[in-house]
Amino acid sequence: MIELMQVSKRFGDALAVDDVSLNIARGELCVLIGTSGCGKSTTLRMINRLIEHSAGEIHLEGQPVREFREEVLRRRIGYAIQSTGLFPHWTVARNIGLVPGLLKWPRARIRERVEELMALLGLEVAEFADKYPSQLSGGQAQRVGVARALAADPDILLMDEPFGALDPITRESLQDELIRLQARLNKTIVFVTHDMDEALRLADRLVVMNQGRIIQQGHPLELLRRPADGFVESLLGGEDRGLKEAALLPVSQRMVALDDAPPDEQQVAQHATLREALSIMLWRHTERLTVVDEAGRPVGQLYLAQLVGINGEASGRGHDRHHRAAG
Amino acid sequence: MREGAGSNSVLVSLMLVLLVSWLGLDAVSVAANRIVPGEGIGLGGVAGWPGILLSVAPMLGVLWLAWRPSPGRLRVALLLVMAMLAALPVWLVVAAALTVDPALPQSRLSIGPAVWLALFMLLLSRIELRGRIRVPRWQGALLDLLPLLSLGLCLLTALEPLALRQEYLAREPAFIAAIGEHLLLVSVAVLVSLSLGVGLAMAMRRWPSAQRFGFTLLNFLQTIPSLALFGLLLAPLAWLSNRFEWIDALGVSGIGWAPALLALVAYSLLPMVRNTYVALEEVDPGVIDAARGMGMSRAQIFRQVRLPLGLPVLLEGIRITTVQAIGLTAVAALIGAGGLGRFIFQGLGQAAMDLVLLGALPILIMALLADALLGALTERLRPGGLR
Amino acid sequence: MNHTASTATRSSPCANGSAARRWLAPLAWLLLLTYACWGMPWLEPLFRLVEPDSRDVIYARADFFLLLGRHMLVVGVAALLAIGIGVAAAIAVTRPAGRDFLPMVSQLASMGQTFPPVAVLALAVPVLGFGTLPVIVALLLYGLLPIVRNTLAGLEGIDGGVAEAARGMGMTGGQRLLRVELPLAAPIILAGIRTSVTINIATAAIGSTVGASNLGDPIISGIVNGNIAYVLQGALLIGLLALSVDSLFARLQPASPQ
Repeated sequence: MIELMQVSKRFGDALAVDDVSLNIARGELCVLIGTSGCGKSTTLRMINRLIEHSAGEIHLEGQPVREFREEVLRRRIGYAIQSTGLFPHWTVARNIGLVPGLLKWPRARIRERVEELMALLGLEVAEFADKYPSQLSGGQAQRVGVARALAADPDILLMDEPFGALDPITRESLQDELIRLQARLNKTIVFVTHDMDEALRLADRLVVMNQGRIIQQGHPLELLRRPADGFVESLLGGEDRGLKEAALLPVSQRMVALDDAPPDEQQVAQHATLREALSIMLWRHTERLTVVDEAGRPVGQLYLAQLVGINGEASGRGHDRHHRAAG
Repeated sequence: MREGAGSNSVLVSLMLVLLVSWLGLDAVSVAANRIVPGEGIGLGGVAGWPGILLSVAPMLGVLWLAWRPSPGRLRVALLLVMAMLAALPVWLVVAAALTVDPALPQSRLSIGPAVWLALFMLLLSRIELRGRIRVPRWQGALLDLLPLLSLGLCLLTALEPLALRQEYLAREPAFIAAIGEHLLLVSVAVLVSLSLGVGLAMAMRRWPSAQRFGFTLLNFLQTIPSLALFGLLLAPLAWLSNRFEWIDALGVSGIGWAPALLALVAYSLLPMVRNTYVALEEVDPGVIDAARGMGMSRAQIFRQVRLPLGLPVLLEGIRITTVQAIGLTAVAALIGAGGLGRFIFQGLGQAAMDLVLLGALPILIMALLADALLGALTERLRPGGLR
Repeated sequence: MNHTASTATRSSPCANGSAARRWLAPLAWLLLLTYACWGMPWLEPLFRLVEPDSRDVIYARADFFLLLGRHMLVVGVAALLAIGIGVAAAIAVTRPAGRDFLPMVSQLASMGQTFPPVAVLALAVPVLGFGTLPVIVALLLYGLLPIVRNTLAGLEGIDGGVAEAARGMGMTGGQRLLRVELPLAAPIILAGIRTSVTINIATAAIGSTVGASNLGDPIISGIVNGNIAYVLQGALLIGLLALSVDSLFARLQPASPQ
């Protein structure tokens, strides 16, 4: 869907992006992460040509982006940024309808689309349509920003730290929203952030950048288990990695079948993460939890030993350690 | 706001100053004719004890209301203040009737410092009160209309001895012509500098290297005192009109409207260019980034984003320029450009203070009106989300 | 004023490198002004070109230095008073005790700038009569406005975090004012003083129509007698004075785009 081939960007003497190659598949949520100034935003902005690349090639569905007219290219790609960039002199509805308007959709269709998107992002039409950006909270403004990016139903969405300025609770709820939206709309999303928890939560593929280069890319679990170097390891949180990994795995992966022992009073939901399960055990001083489904029916049990993988369950993380130590 | 925390010290101080000056300074001065200096008369001399008691009562009333303020009490105080403002012209009518001998048609009444100060203090009180309490728009407008109506009625019906009015009547056609000249010079200067200024600001945006030089030059022009600039322009224009007949035929000469207009445009350029430049330049970069990222073309960004967001700043520039030009045009009268300044300088030359007032007051009112009207227009055109 | 000036200089990032060069401009203007005052008679042939028919082409009713001195005296006295009163007033209404007056004072300061300086000067005469005093009073009153307005803007514009930190460190009100608020507001206050003085130099020149003798005299006299050479001499000197003073302020002020 999006292909970067040995792309570099030079600003004067400084090399902001250095020989980056990246292939993002349709429907993938690809997160670029790194410290500030590592070239992740530049990489993102080269895709919709807000910044022109100096070397290499960027292809969109097999076609070099340079062959598109700039405006045409950008109207096909959704774009959401940290400062939202909402037009302060336009209402919420008009802001969302911006790109459809540029594409000259008929009025009625734009209105319909705006209302559909507002509903999709949990913005009450009657309440918000005629408000101005200055009247919105940070979270609401960012929802409008995402709705605006989605307005013309682009296949690709570029998001540059869209939730970076929000408080943790709002940020988390918007992350959930994005995961839900992605499950439904199946867009190809390139997402830039410097927040590792956010990256691990959202990413199908995590791309770690440093000093303009890609250090490592892969599925979040892959990076957690096999960080390429000390930089990636520290970025992933060093010794905190265990908990970060547990936060990515569902309880159902480590539970065992119900045995004859009477069901434990302490329960955990089937779709909860191992991290949540561990937290319940620590809090309740217990080594065993009953796993229940949505209706609250017991479906299995989770033992501490299995949770941490002592009985050789799954993971294979231990093996990898040995390999690495041996290698 | 410190309501309930004690008295409204601002209003209390204003009323105390008002009381002292009202009782201590001359209310009016009366002269037998235009030549002799007037003789000042205090409040007691005009209206005796009844006048003192009657006029001081509302002031004490406001003082009392301000001592223990509440929204309701401040509302009453505002009503009293506006009533006092409306009563000032009536007071002049009364003073004229009591002090000017109707048998002497040449005698004239001048407004004394007590009345001027009262006007000032009451206007300040109005500002203070309107800032403290919310008044519905139509009520506020109605209250403001009251003193103006009173002034108009008094001037039309009963203020014959007022020196200001006599000066006006003596040169009514000239006065109206002067207002026309003044307005014409100001509006031409503003329009010319607007079109030049927008062009220059756009050029500076395109060629940033010209920007520094441009602003340095305009700052330089703005620094030169008006009288000096008017003076410096006299010589070259006089020379040009002597040299080329067609320039002379256009009416351009060293003295007159031509150097005045040139100087006015020169002064107006800096605020105009600066505000236009800021209007175009200082839109939130995030907004421009998003606009580009959404696929808006340069022209679309200019029309739909930069222009509406910058318009209030541009209008602010027009406002500053207009107000400034109204004042400078008064100076231009010195080099024969006409306008209301002529009365000021004539009056100063003849030591006829009421003639000075006849020139200065309309200029002041014009400046305040231009400021208020353009300010209101800016508010109106300010796009919804920025209010 | 010394205090504010030195602070403003220190906070300027490029003060060191081009210090000598930045003094060059005010010095050059001042030199030119002095030279013009002193050497005007030598320029007679030049002025003769403009005014071939007049008997006198060099204004001789008073020495140019005397006129310059009077001009600077009037502006200087008015400016010093305006700075003292204006800054003090702005400080007073931003302290807790005087805060009640803040809305009125700030509105008055911004509205007052709508008044044309000529009108203020003209209105001072009926009250105070002719001469130097009314000019000084008018300049003082008018000069107060930009100073009050800018001082208010400077003091009110200080980042809330800084003010909070100063309080949190246990600085007293006076310490905060002298060590934090005034130094931070200094560049803006200085800009206000600059505006005030620039306007006053111009207005003082018009003051020669109300009987205050100064550099406006040759201009007025030239206009009255139809002698453009006089006008040019007065205009030249006033222009040079304004530019000298303005470039001095530019030197004191940290570099800013406007």
